[in-house]
Amino acid sequence: MADQLATSSETWRDTPPAPRVSSDLMIDRTLPPRARLQAWRLRHRLRQERAETYYAESRHPERGLPVAGNASAARFLGRLLTTRRARVAGVIAFNAAAAIAGLLVPRMLGDLVDLVSAGESAAAVVDSIILAVVGVVLVQSVLTFAARRASAVLGYDLLASAREEVVGTVLRLPLGKVEAASSGDLLTRITSDVSKMSESIRWALPQFLISIVTVLATIGALLLNSWFLALPVFVTLTVLFLATRHYLAHAMQGYITEGGTYSRINSTMTETVDGARTVEALGLAGRRIDAVDEDIEESNQAERYTMSLRNLFFIWLDISFQFPLIAVVILGTWGYSQGWVTIGQITAAAIYAQGLIEPMDRLIQVFDRLQVGMAGTTRLLGIAEMPDDRTPGEQRPEGTDLAGRDLRFAYREGTDVLHGVDLELQPGERLAVVGPSGSGKSTLGRLLAGINRPRTGEVDVGGVDVMGLPLDVLRTEVALVTQEHHVFVGTVRDNIVLARDVQLRPEEVDPAVIAALEAVDAWEWVEKLPQGLDTMLGHGRHRLTPAQAQQIALARLVVADPHTLVLDEATSLIDPRTARHLEGSMATLLDGRAVVAIAHRLHTAHDADRIAVVIDGRIAEFGSHPELLELDGEYARLWRTWRS
Amino acid sequence: MHDFPPRVDAYAPTATARPDTRSPSAFLWWTLRQQPDVIAVNVLFGLLWMLPGTLSPFLLGKVIDIGILRGDLRATLGWAGLLTVVVLIGAVGGIAQHTMAVRGWLIALYGTQKLVVRKAGQLGHVLSRRLPTGEVLSISSSDSDIFGAAFEIFCRGISALFAFFLVCGLMFGTSPELGWVVLIAAPLLVGATSPVLRPLNAAQTAERTQNGELTSMATDIVSGLRILRGIGGEATFGSNYDQQSQRVRRLGVVTGTWQALAETLGVLLAGLLLVTLVWLGSHQMMAGELTVGQLISFVGYAVFMVWPLQTFFEFAQKWVRALVSARKAIALLDTELPLAEGDGVLAPAPRLRDLASGLVVEPGRYLAVVSADPEDSAALADRLGRYLPGAAPVTGEDEDLKGRAARRARAERDARRAAAAAADAEAGHATWGVEADGVDYSRLPLAELRNRIVVSDTGSQLFAGTLQTAVDPHGSHTRAQAEAALRTAAAEDVYAGLPGGWQGRIDELGRGLSGGQRQRVVLARALLLDPEILVLVEPTSAVDAHTEARIAERLPEHRRGRTTVVITASPLMLHYADEVALLEEGRVVARGSHAELLATDPRYRQVVARGMEEDE
Repeated sequence: MADQLATSSETWRDTPPAPRVSSDLMIDRTLPPRARLQAWRLRHRLRQERAETYYAESRHPERGLPVAGNASAARFLGRLLTTRRARVAGVIAFNAAAAIAGLLVPRMLGDLVDLVSAGESAAAVVDSIILAVVGVVLVQSVLTFAARRASAVLGYDLLASAREEVVGTVLRLPLGKVEAASSGDLLTRITSDVSKMSESIRWALPQFLISIVTVLATIGALLLNSWFLALPVFVTLTVLFLATRHYLAHAMQGYITEGGTYSRINSTMTETVDGARTVEALGLAGRRIDAVDEDIEESNQAERYTMSLRNLFFIWLDISFQFPLIAVVILGTWGYSQGWVTIGQITAAAIYAQGLIEPMDRLIQVFDRLQVGMAGTTRLLGIAEMPDDRTPGEQRPEGTDLAGRDLRFAYREGTDVLHGVDLELQPGERLAVVGPSGSGKSTLGRLLAGINRPRTGEVDVGGVDVMGLPLDVLRTEVALVTQEHHVFVGTVRDNIVLARDVQLRPEEVDPAVIAALEAVDAWEWVEKLPQGLDTMLGHGRHRLTPAQAQQIALARLVVADPHTLVLDEATSLIDPRTARHLEGSMATLLDGRAVVAIAHRLHTAHDADRIAVVIDGRIAEFGSHPELLELDGEYARLWRTWRS
Repeated sequence: MHDFPPRVDAYAPTATARPDTRSPSAFLWWTLRQQPDVIAVNVLFGLLWMLPGTLSPFLLGKVIDIGILRGDLRATLGWAGLLTVVVLIGAVGGIAQHTMAVRGWLIALYGTQKLVVRKAGQLGHVLSRRLPTGEVLSISSSDSDIFGAAFEIFCRGISALFAFFLVCGLMFGTSPELGWVVLIAAPLLVGATSPVLRPLNAAQTAERTQNGELTSMATDIVSGLRILRGIGGEATFGSNYDQQSQRVRRLGVVTGTWQALAETLGVLLAGLLLVTLVWLGSHQMMAGELTVGQLISFVGYAVFMVWPLQTFFEFAQKWVRALVSARKAIALLDTELPLAEGDGVLAPAPRLRDLASGLVVEPGRYLAVVSADPEDSAALADRLGRYLPGAAPVTGEDEDLKGRAARRARAERDARRAAAAAADAEAGHATWGVEADGVDYSRLPLAELRNRIVVSDTGSQLFAGTLQTAVDPHGSHTRAQAEAALRTAAAEDVYAGLPGGWQGRIDELGRGLSGGQRQRVVLARALLLDPEILVLVEPTSAVDAHTEARIAERLPEHRRGRTTVVITASPLMLHYADEVALLEEGRVVARGSHAELLATDPRYRQVVARGMEEDE
């Protein structure tokens, strides 16, 4: 075998790696003011570059699941909205009505001020106008309630459809990808990205409608009140538009980078706390503190970047929000002296101008959140972009014999881990596959179970290519049994009927489940559970012992009833006592089925009908236990050490 | 002035900082006291930031009365100029305040995180005996943020108080009657939502609980996805998820309805306040007691006054929340190391004797220990390494409990925690029961023990980084040494499989490596550390027989001349040991070579050769 450490001298680093935060980013307080400003500009640019790189990397992850483009996220949201046209229209109509009612109040109060300051009205007239205003306020309140409630109904409805669709997509992921991908990435997407998307769909979309309607209505009211006094608002809108566009162009990258730095602190901290004993045993406390401090330094840089972005943005925001008031006053004085506007119009314009601040501010927040939600959504939609390598055909297997020929497979292009393996399994036979780690024995198991498509050759069951079978047919032919015995949140019945939840009629389910439980010796304890088959299992519910969980896993296979099982180290993680307890249940399951056992322990091999010794992606030795001992090769050598 | 990230020097022998953990409020004040300068500056800038809000109604009124109504453009420009100046001061003050608020917030946040990692480093294995991992992490990830928020609201609250008095002064100077109206109505406006707050909170809690349930269903689906796609069940669990999703949607609509009601109440009362002011004001105007400008000023005051009052409300809420967080932080930071420090001398190549089992570890030998019960061997490794035996942390605060029940549950948990700590301290200070050259561990310096006796057990963990840092975390060994360790642990395939070799990425907890690969990297790391005494617990339990045979063969050669204890039941490993000790009921019942014991001791055969006997 070639020396696997051949490149060691090239990749070993004799000097400690450079700090992750470069010294250019450190603040030098001794510089004169002008130089400090320059230094800040340099830092801001470096931080911006860092954010852009980080963002770009997060969009195109080297490993893990793909990320969809912005256009597909927009299409997704668009589709959600267009399937609910009536609700969207309702939200817009109610909000517009509420906004208009709200805008009538300042206008009426302005008229009142005009009346009073003209000094010719009676108290009765004033009071009747006031009474009318009270009426408008009441109507406005009712409309506001209707508008906000309609928005909530729409938001929650959109959200529910969106998350159900995402989970549906996850449940349709290609089998090969599910087996290959680490569940971490998928888990992050299904938890944190769904919550980001939720926020954006549930809060931001309705708020967007509310704010935009309010802003437009207020501008309309300003124009109706006095186009002359409305002019300053357009200046504000222009400045705001430019400032916001600049801010949003950088903000998302900044916040995503910042969020990333906090996840990093969290994961370093998690490792340290989880592995506190290892830290103590190896004297790593100092290293861990340095690691967290360096993570914090990175986070500090990301925080400083977004802080500067906000500061640069806020200055425009503060000034442009307040500017219309000053301008209205000055224009008002001029207009009043010329007789173009009344004092009431000035009052109303001042109130409208102030009233614009809140919805515009919210609109900016909405854009901010929509951006973040968009980023989450693209990652969620990315899940759906994984191509399936399965091409279900019409042919169905005849017979139960399994054969693979010329099997080659590569995880990375150009490096085959299997080099043309041929293997024929006789019905009901027990075959053990042994070999060192990395020799390709698990890969062989996955090809035989029809999980991955081999690069060359094919695996046939009953004369049909396994990759050409639909999943629900494949499951009743060959099943891969791994060390996992996950218990789902659900009833005992839900946990067992899995393979045939669509095929069985409702009245057939219970008998099938009970028969399976009986077969694995589990019916006795299940029957005694408080609600029998309806007992809820899983996280936070009724807890099973590891042995019981294993029995549930076996019962699932009994229901699936495949004629061939591929066991991948199925019992190695169970402690010996549990394993012995399960041997009986296991025997019932294996009885009458062909079994390919990928074994760690030699006694598994010893018990098998035939043994395949896989070394470096090839079957090096093949035969029964005595035959292999006779052969006096690798297997025999190992066996003797084991037995000595 | 203090800046972020703060320098934190605590929980080390030479520490200069000592958080005040006597009570939650003492701790909160301590965090504030870390940056008095930032607080002062923050309050000052906060006031400048609020200046436009407080003064612009007044200035606007002046403009209208003096400028517009009299048609005096000069006067208008003067007052408008003043207004402009105030707005500019506000904008600059806003930026300065924001900068300082971020600074103080992050000093509190990063400072807490740094305290947590330092405490975790100090406590080591004791940490998991006190607090569940999740609780420690939530101090670092969420409570730290709450301390930041408490700092920010503390400063903003003080600024708001000043602003409040300023506006009160302006109002009462113009019209006491209207001043009273605003002063009474503003708190009403702030408190108006309180009748719906209780049902709103209840609805939010219900929604959050069911939403948590929904998230855990999604997590459950992903965790079991291999099974769902491999064996089936997509229809069942997909529809379970959809049902729960619809349940959450309905609860969300209930929450949304209460929220809409709260918002409506706000709109209604704000509208009515405006109407009341204008009504009273216009009557006063008709009576000649008030000018138009003054009336408009009052409308502005009424709008502004809601804000400081809301800030006070926010202050109360956030302070209470911060006290809860402070209590959680204290539970961690108050924990002390329960092991006694001795000043005895640990001579080179000591001979160890464990009194409980009667095991003697001779220096320089390669000893294997076999036990019928895995728990006995784990306990033995703990004793040899001076680790308190594994125990679950004390938990038990039910989030759903409220009021008195919650306080009682908390008091109970605190009492149990204190009892566990006291028991540990007692065990840690009493005679330990393992002697090095006849000196009990409790009379030896702990750091010295940790340095010279290393236990690598089945819970040993890998940390994210490169393969080089995973194998050589201290960065203190040469390439040749690292290669040798990797070869002995038969982990060359890990090197070959990682793009980038030594610089290849290891993910957190070694995720991405198989169980066997992870175990071999852990072994390589322990070997490279090259301690005088190395205790390995089941070092090859996840490794296949071929690879295990290679490790078993290379290990004794690698450790030649140093003391090694391997706890294992694998015949491949036992075959190469200098000597094997058999443990039964926690006591050594037989010693000898693997071959001898196999030939002479039926108890040994039964433990070691399990699974092979049956077929013979």
